[in-house]
Amino acid sequence: MKSNKAGHFWALDIVGAALFSAGLAGGVSALVAHQTTLPWLAALASGAVLRAGSVGLVHTLAMPIAQRDANVWRTNIMAHLLGGRLDRPLTAGASAALAVDHVHAIEEHGARFLPARISAVFGPLFAIGLIALASWVCALILLGTLIPFIIGMIFAGTAARRASERQLEALTALSGLFVDRIRHLPLIRHFAAQERIARQVESATHDVAQRTVAVLRAAFLSSAVLEFFSAIAVALVAVYCGFALLGLLPFTPPEPLTLARAFFALAMAPEVYLPMRRLAAAYHEKQMGEAAKAALEPYTPTAPAPNAPEAPAPAAPFTGLRVEGLTLAWDALTIGPLTFALDAQGLVALTGPTGSGKTSTLAAIAGQIAPAAGAILDSRGAPLDPAHIAWAAQRPLLLPATLRENIALAAPGATDAAILAVAARVGLDPVLARRGGLDLAIDHRGSGLSGGERRRIGLARAILSGRPLMLCDEPTADLDAASAAQITALLCDLASERALLVATHDAPLAALAQQEIAL
Amino acid sequence: MSPQTRAPARLTPIEMVRPTGALRASLRAGTLSAIAAALGGLFLLGISGWFLTGAAVAGAAGFAAVQAFNYLIPSAAIRLLAITRTVARYGERLLSHKAALTAMADVRSRLFARLAMQDTRSAPNLSAGEASARLIGDIDALEDLVVRQPTRPGSLAAALAGVALAALSGWLCALVLALLLAVFPFALGALSRRWTRTPAHEAAEALGDLRSRYVDMAQARAEIAAYGLVPRVLDELALPVARLDAARARLFRAEGAIAAFQLVYGALAAIVVLATASRGPALAALAILAASAAVEGLAALARTAFRQASVDESLRRLEDLLALDAPAPAAPIDVNLSASTLHLGAQAFGPGARIALTGPSGSGKTIVLEALAGLRSSAAPIRIGERALAQCCEAELSALFALSAQDAPLLAGSIADNLRLAHTGLDETAMRTALHVACLDERIARLPHGLDTRLGEDGAPLSGGERKRLSLARALLAGRPWLLLDEPTEGLDAATEARLVERLGDWLERTGSGLVLVSHRPHPLTLVHARVAIDTLVTL
Repeated sequence: MKSNKAGHFWALDIVGAALFSAGLAGGVSALVAHQTTLPWLAALASGAVLRAGSVGLVHTLAMPIAQRDANVWRTNIMAHLLGGRLDRPLTAGASAALAVDHVHAIEEHGARFLPARISAVFGPLFAIGLIALASWVCALILLGTLIPFIIGMIFAGTAARRASERQLEALTALSGLFVDRIRHLPLIRHFAAQERIARQVESATHDVAQRTVAVLRAAFLSSAVLEFFSAIAVALVAVYCGFALLGLLPFTPPEPLTLARAFFALAMAPEVYLPMRRLAAAYHEKQMGEAAKAALEPYTPTAPAPNAPEAPAPAAPFTGLRVEGLTLAWDALTIGPLTFALDAQGLVALTGPTGSGKTSTLAAIAGQIAPAAGAILDSRGAPLDPAHIAWAAQRPLLLPATLRENIALAAPGATDAAILAVAARVGLDPVLARRGGLDLAIDHRGSGLSGGERRRIGLARAILSGRPLMLCDEPTADLDAASAAQITALLCDLASERALLVATHDAPLAALAQQEIAL
Repeated sequence: MSPQTRAPARLTPIEMVRPTGALRASLRAGTLSAIAAALGGLFLLGISGWFLTGAAVAGAAGFAAVQAFNYLIPSAAIRLLAITRTVARYGERLLSHKAALTAMADVRSRLFARLAMQDTRSAPNLSAGEASARLIGDIDALEDLVVRQPTRPGSLAAALAGVALAALSGWLCALVLALLLAVFPFALGALSRRWTRTPAHEAAEALGDLRSRYVDMAQARAEIAAYGLVPRVLDELALPVARLDAARARLFRAEGAIAAFQLVYGALAAIVVLATASRGPALAALAILAASAAVEGLAALARTAFRQASVDESLRRLEDLLALDAPAPAAPIDVNLSASTLHLGAQAFGPGARIALTGPSGSGKTIVLEALAGLRSSAAPIRIGERALAQCCEAELSALFALSAQDAPLLAGSIADNLRLAHTGLDETAMRTALHVACLDERIARLPHGLDTRLGEDGAPLSGGERKRLSLARALLAGRPWLLLDEPTEGLDAATEARLVERLGDWLERTGSGLVLVSHRPHPLTLVHARVAIDTLVTL
């Protein structure tokens, strides 16, 4: 979105301000002429009501417009982050920062900065135009202060922007350090390093504070420019008008000036600068919004609806998986190269310690993370069809729906008989018996389900999908010994009818695989 | 917010940070600047109006009146005020931010020192991202409060000056204006709370709900992508999104309503002053413009009021953390524990013993290691000398044990930073020796920046197994009597594993350190002399 049209209603604010100023000017003139001030009091009141109305209008209209735009971003980002192919794996927290916090920043930018920018473009000139109706000399004076103001803002503004960017970087780095040390307090206490690390934190925070003060000077200078010109505008208008009314100008006044006209110009003078102040107040939202857009840019593919459910192409049946030189790389971390093959039936284990990239490798094979090099093919050498891949997760997705619907997420047409058969096979029948069958309502937290039961729902879902290649992520992790043994037996059984690629650091499970690929 | 509404027992944020002399001076100067800026703005408008009107009256009255009208002083005052206001505002901003930034640096370091003193077994857990992010947010809210502090005296000065100038137009005028100004902050505060409390709360709730639901979805990303469930999931998230949007739109409208109220109130003040002014038009002009400026000045107070609810919330949480006392040790710290016997259940081990904890996966071996390391409380029948584990304070445990944990936590910073965590005054030779035992010296020597290589978020460029060995080297460097190792060779190839076990054996021999090992791989188990079955220690 380039603009937020609600900003146009700030024009009403200027009209209201003019009415209010006219009320002031007329009221004071009426006092001078010993007339009643009543009509002017009415003008003051109606000017204020008009201004209040315009503020209300902008605040009522701007947010829905900003939200409409932000929701487009949100939908695209969420669709891509949840279903698209990424360049690197993201933690759920990082994903939420993008989809929730950054979109929030875009909304704030749309609701606060964009309307203010519209009014900053037309507002000053509109206010000067209204002043010209009373005194064109005053209008000229204000126009005259506006030009050096804009030049000053450009210089001070550029310096301020650079300064505040540096400040933002320093503060981000500092809060990164602070958060890191806070998170690792148990580790720090364990090594009795409290005092040393506390000293380090103290010197880092004070260092950043001092540097920040230095860069803030430049930022405040641009505000000072704004203040100075708006103050000087009032002063110049007051002095010119005063001397003109006294008849003390060293030249003949080029226009007939009355107290009412002069007072109107004086009262309106601050309004010329008000839109720019409003804009300056939204500077933070501008910065955050632009940073958010830049951060989201890599995740907004030009192609619409990434990874929409693919049309069931007349796919060739799955005959096996071939992974050739698969390499994943991000930051300075490299996983692979991996080369292995898996037939249409069988079990291959992917092993390695926590953090070695097992899940990322599975995700790359599923086409969810772009590899740095290598190929993922079927046994005939054609690209692997994503519709052949089922995924049994460590912590499976649960949607607020019935158990039936949750098991059949990947096979919406499945009959109850088929669902019950699969549920029995993965060992869910105790849950079914205990909790009232397939109609069991599940909330989004999966309340009442143990980790093991949840894992089994994921397995049932993968089996029911009928997809011939199953990727299993840590199927036995955190399970009690009996459950782990049951799941291991089930996986062995499944391996005789389909292809299983299992990421695990469970030695008994890895021992059953035809091949173990260590990362 | 006004100072009166604060409960007397509550410490102000400035008291919380115990300002240093320099900080107090900064804040005082900032406050003076704020007052100068507020008065400068008010007098600039007021005197301009008075000058204009007086000039018009004198101009209309003829030559003699013009001669009698002193225009030099007001016109010079106007120019002076324009400059004063600018400079004072700049000073206020700079000084208040300086004070706030210094204060925040103090809060951060004090808070950190306070938290670091705690016993991990009873301290608030801040290891999750959510908790530490909230802490940062709380501190930022506090910063905002310090920055705004000088505005309060500035606003009050503007209000008083406004009333004083209105008094020139008669006592009635001053009285009504004083009443209006006195009511204004309370009315604004009350309306702000009334209009924003519910939507602000609702928006925060909705945001939390959306975030937690989205995090659930993001954790299940693999399934969503594999089965093409994106539209279904977006439908699911549409409800919390709609709730959030509605609450935020309402909050934004409330903000607009508050701004509108200020505008109307300012106009009301001007109307009342105009209607009651009784000492001539010039002084009336002065009073009206001063009244408007005073209301505008007081509105700065309201901006603080607007955020007060969330600031209060932050303050409360920070005060709770700052109020934490260091836990008193159950008994005086015993420096001779290092020579004591380690009792694991019925078995007793002298210093330098090498023990393996055995048992099936998930039976609690890691939990016992963490309990020994002081990272979690445990009722396991473990004693050190005559003292039960729970009675040992963390300082005692950390003087006895050095843990290399299964998940190998690393600090953000360089490799050397991570090693230095273990002990004061470590030199490069010591680090290289420890890295050699951990079979990581050659790998690190090949890195372009060697020991100074900065580790990224996932410990990159080190792989999972390398992180593990770095954490092992760190535990070796701690030089404690007992080494606690959790799966030290997981994910290593056979050759490296053999080398590491051999070097570790030499190291244990050389230093005489004891070892408590958890490993499901057979090779490291050759290091130990005794085995303890986990089910004698833990009942699940």
